[in-house]
Amino acid sequence: MAESSGTTLMDLISADPTPIPAQSTSSSASSTAVQPSPASASAASHLHHPMSTKTTLGEKKSKRATLMQIQNDTISVAKAALNPVKANIMPQRQRQKKKPVSYSQLARSIHELAATLDQKSSQKQLVNHVFPKLAVYNSVDPSLAPSLLMLNQQCEDRNVLRYVYYYLARILSDTGMTPGGGIPTPNWDALADIDAGGGVTRADVVPRIVNQLTTEASNSEFEFHARRLQALKALTYSPSGNSELLSKLYEIVFGILEKVGDVPHKRKKGVFGTKGGDKDSIMRSNLQYAAMSALRRLPLDPGNPLFLHRAAQGVSFADPVAVRHSLEILSELATRDPYTVAMTLEKLASPVGALQDILHMNDVLARVSLARLCHSISRARALDERPDIRSQFNSILYQLLLDPSERVCYEAILCILGKYDNTERMDERAAGWYRLTREILKLPEAPSLSSKDKAHKTKRPQPLIKLVMRRLESSFRSFSRPVLHAAARVVQEMGKSRAAAFAMGLQDIDETVHVNGFSDALDDAETNESSHPEGIRRTSSISGPGRNDTIASLLASLMEVVRTTVACECVYVRAMVIKALIWMQSPDESLDELKSIIASELSDPSWPAALVNDVLLTLHARFKATPDMAVILLEIARIFATKVPGKIDADVLQLLWKTCLVGAGPDGKHTALEAVTIVLDLPPPQPGSMAGMTSIDRVSASDPKSALALQKLVQAAVWFLGENANYAASEYAWESATPPGTALMMLDADKMVAAASSRNPTLAGALTRLQRCAFSGSWEVRIVAIQALTTIAIRSGEPFRLQIYEFLYTLAEGGVQSQLSEMHLSNGEDQGASGTGLGVLITPMLKVLDEMYVGQDELIKDIRHHDNANKEWKDEELKKLYENHERLLDFVSMFCFIPRAKYLPLGPISAKLIDGYRTKHNITVSTGATDPAVVATGISDLIYESTQPAPAASNSSGLDDDLVNAWAANLGDDGLLGNNAPAMSRVNEFLAGVGTDAPDVEEENVFSRPSVGYDDMWAKTLLETSELEEEDARSGSSSPDSTGSVESSISSHFGGMNYPSLFSSKPSSHSTAKSGGSKYQSTYEGYGSPIREEPPPPYSYSEPQGRESFENPVAASGSRSYESDDEEPRKSTGTRYGTALYDFTAGGDDELNLTAEEELEIEYEVDGWFYVKKKRPGRDGKMAGLVPVLYVNQS
Amino acid sequence: MILAVLFANSVGNVLIERFNGVPAEERLHWRSFLVKLGAENLKGVKNEELLVACHKSVYIVYTMLGDVSIFLVGKDEYDELALAETMFIITAAVKDVCGKPPTERVFLDKYGRICLCLDEIVWNGLLENTDKDRIKRLIRMSFLDSLFYQIFNYLLLLLFDQTRINFL
Repeated sequence: MAESSGTTLMDLISADPTPIPAQSTSSSASSTAVQPSPASASAASHLHHPMSTKTTLGEKKSKRATLMQIQNDTISVAKAALNPVKANIMPQRQRQKKKPVSYSQLARSIHELAATLDQKSSQKQLVNHVFPKLAVYNSVDPSLAPSLLMLNQQCEDRNVLRYVYYYLARILSDTGMTPGGGIPTPNWDALADIDAGGGVTRADVVPRIVNQLTTEASNSEFEFHARRLQALKALTYSPSGNSELLSKLYEIVFGILEKVGDVPHKRKKGVFGTKGGDKDSIMRSNLQYAAMSALRRLPLDPGNPLFLHRAAQGVSFADPVAVRHSLEILSELATRDPYTVAMTLEKLASPVGALQDILHMNDVLARVSLARLCHSISRARALDERPDIRSQFNSILYQLLLDPSERVCYEAILCILGKYDNTERMDERAAGWYRLTREILKLPEAPSLSSKDKAHKTKRPQPLIKLVMRRLESSFRSFSRPVLHAAARVVQEMGKSRAAAFAMGLQDIDETVHVNGFSDALDDAETNESSHPEGIRRTSSISGPGRNDTIASLLASLMEVVRTTVACECVYVRAMVIKALIWMQSPDESLDELKSIIASELSDPSWPAALVNDVLLTLHARFKATPDMAVILLEIARIFATKVPGKIDADVLQLLWKTCLVGAGPDGKHTALEAVTIVLDLPPPQPGSMAGMTSIDRVSASDPKSALALQKLVQAAVWFLGENANYAASEYAWESATPPGTALMMLDADKMVAAASSRNPTLAGALTRLQRCAFSGSWEVRIVAIQALTTIAIRSGEPFRLQIYEFLYTLAEGGVQSQLSEMHLSNGEDQGASGTGLGVLITPMLKVLDEMYVGQDELIKDIRHHDNANKEWKDEELKKLYENHERLLDFVSMFCFIPRAKYLPLGPISAKLIDGYRTKHNITVSTGATDPAVVATGISDLIYESTQPAPAASNSSGLDDDLVNAWAANLGDDGLLGNNAPAMSRVNEFLAGVGTDAPDVEEENVFSRPSVGYDDMWAKTLLETSELEEEDARSGSSSPDSTGSVESSISSHFGGMNYPSLFSSKPSSHSTAKSGGSKYQSTYEGYGSPIREEPPPPYSYSEPQGRESFENPVAASGSRSYESDDEEPRKSTGTRYGTALYDFTAGGDDELNLTAEEELEIEYEVDGWFYVKKKRPGRDGKMAGLVPVLYVNQS
Repeated sequence: MILAVLFANSVGNVLIERFNGVPAEERLHWRSFLVKLGAENLKGVKNEELLVACHKSVYIVYTMLGDVSIFLVGKDEYDELALAETMFIITAAVKDVCGKPPTERVFLDKYGRICLCLDEIVWNGLLENTDKDRIKRLIRMSFLDSLFYQIFNYLLLLLFDQTRINFL
């Protein structure tokens, strides 16, 4: 806890031994010197009129001391009572502490000091005591604004002014979006509701502040210009929603730039020339800087030529920061309209232009922006007819590879590789790899640097790849973690581009080519230099004698260095290295090294789950880029499944299995399925055994949590097997070639198994595994195994169906027998199938299979009967047959999905008769949407929604078999990577490279304290007890959770809603959205980018009052401690409505003020808090936020 | 975009935080994530040794300075290296204000000034001033002396080209 540190924020406030003047003049209000407590809220009301009662100094002091004493006593008694241990451990620090200065005192001092500004001491007081202490509070009361503005107008002292601008900016920006840490302050505008009299609100002060600042910003007096800079800066903090203010700002900025922007300012000459010193040029460059910085903060105005012109002017400014901003603006504009930007910058990009100078400028981010700018212009399709411009920019980009800063060099590499933003385009990437491996950097003539020109000239032109490799290798020797991380990231991006190049089948990517061949060829061409002014040239030369650097060898040596980086102690760096290795792994290389690296890495317990899942998602991405690698990737995924079952997201893993299975193609399917089912063959985890930690064939689940996770994983694997074995084995009943009679003839189980495995080893293997699972393992696994077996039985032809039937029958019979024989031993429970507890489940499944076989027998009998008697089938008979067929279809549909148009529960011989009946009676094949079972269970919404077009197609009789199967397997169109499952969105988000939403913190004991103060700590000690209760409640809730898993496994029986399978397009309901790292994901995925940059919600300002009353954030801080608990499920996914029961005052920025009876929309619940939206913004302007659950009546 | 700048003391109390473009409901998560990250990894770390982490496409660079841990969260152009640059500037400024790697006490004593420095370094989620002296001058609201800059830049330029040549 905070007390242990001995110094707290409160110390700062009490740090000054000399009382500030406010204390000597203030009144009874000094009682509020104590920190916010419920009591002080009541005192708040009269604080705004502090001068009413005058008391003598001595009186006041004694009163104050008494009050302080009382308060201290109360706190310490409370602490001792609630937390005796802590009180004992703590030395009596409170005694040593000086009296804290409250916010109200500071505020009052400002008012008073502003009034007595003419005195030197007042200014000193402000700068040294009042303002620094005020900064500790995380927001500023708008009622201070008038005094601040007065100070701003009258004060000459620059130190005071700087603080004044700082606080004005804070008031302007205080939209509830920028808390500042430090001691929490109440929501000022909300306070205005409580305290209705007088006072000033943001709504009042903001226009005044803006007015004054804009006047200052437009003041062109020389003496004033330092203030102009600050005024402009403060103005950019104002919320961007205000269009009037925006246009005013544009006006000011353009006005300044018009005056100062046009004078070209040669930086170089300033060094020895006369320009540097005089005031005019200093002022100009200062103004240039201020205007450009402000322009950077204003929203882009892409269509406006003036905007572009002003931004482009900035490139030749003297101030490096101004140049950086101008380049940043330009590079952003260039992504939207490269042509116009290129035309504007045409002159600057020439070898003597200003852009070349930036190469030597001492500002890393400026050069980064330059790289981006060059990249977007040199790749712009719009500039196809101006190759000269493109090559100029290209040349600059390549020169940036030599930049001493890693940041710039890496940016240049990424740009060359075709990674610019998160929009991944294969062709762009592939072209990037081509560029990197084929192109050459030749430094252009640099007339501006005549002294160093010679040095450059002697250098040979360098192939880019060599430069890059050398640079990266040297980076990997760095000790700095950011450098290592970034370098690994660059290698990863390189791998992506390389994979894209291979996937696109780019010609000429033979990696055994000698890279120096290119530069040799260039040397030859050097004679006719004039014809290639751009200095960059493509050559298609393949062979080069002499040096033996090939791309492959360069890569190999780089990868060697990358591998050694796995030894870095930072897991994030290691994760990035592993990602890089996965991306650089090519399909034909040996996998062993990567596998052992990953296996040993994963045994390290310090890997956070989020990171493990990130690597898993990388496998997805890698698979998407190179489908050939499915099997390799599954091998790697297997390591994850076995080593860290507790950390990986089973949804994501299953999705990987599924996509790999589908992508593996006909040949790889068997191997792919094997790779999945290998999870089932693993020996059960042995708790505590550390022996095989590094062996990938041993499960490491040493704690109960991961053992549980492993079991879930096994369950998932079993389900996966059931759903997809038929697909993997290409075995479908509706395509079975085996005549039904054959199966019936070989009822001997051994022969059956032999026949089955000879016919289809994949399916036979899967069956064996499932049968074993049905016996062993926990009962959850057994349930799923039985369901999986039934699914396979229904979907497969003979002899598999019969084999399963027999197995199930034995299982059920065994139970009955044991029941009969050991009746007396039973404890009264129905033991079911041999004590497997599966009787209830098996019976209906057996019944369906029974019905099917009986139906088949009947049909054969009937056919024989008709054949023998040589009778035609009568319509009634056919009708009966058809009805039987439909009934069976309905039954079967309850267990798993089958294509109704093709599925023949009565066996293949019924096909002719059923078809005949259908054509005769003009019955169109039911698509299944009307299927009673489907309708009854509501699966129709899940299964058929996205596959609706396909059934329509299946009406036509001449349907392609592959199409039906693909449809059944939900592979049609983009079903492979549809957007339905939660795991899918995670994968897609990852692939898209977005995802900046907040991470989940798993540990429950992490205190997330926005700030600290007495109140806060006190609140915490008070909360100590309730915290324990909470924990109890949580541990209690874990058992409902486990029943939840039972429920889900049972519900999966109806259509597999819980697991992504090839047979359902919406495999997972929301309830399976496991913690994964995205509690809010489903809520926010709709916004596209998780980090929103839109302006905050509109504001309506109101009257704040009572600066004194800090609400005690008891509730808030209490709940914050647990907010990281992600195990509590969100109670609902849909929107609910409710009304506020009581008034609620927000205790923090995340919270929302409520007025009783207000109508609310409840978005979701987190740890006893509702995130609600109001119908209209409240007085503080906030629309949405957190409120305690108990304050809301749900309707 | 620099999504967050956060100063915390050794026991995880947030001293200063500046969020930019992070929705209010995600701040709690970030706060606890960062504090936890610090608690797990910053034990025994040398002053100003940079540590790195990432979450999806967001980068985090953090370090210890005296008793204070500093966290930076960024995305897009503010990747680990750009954040490292920013971190150098921030630590330099803090050391400059405090005179040495600060104890929590000193840090709190200089709190106001540190806020002003931070205000000059990170402005609306973008890195602004990178030079220590320039930041100092801006806080004093005196002129940015361009002559000084030009000489400084020139010297750097010389150094810079030397590196370039060496590298080739």
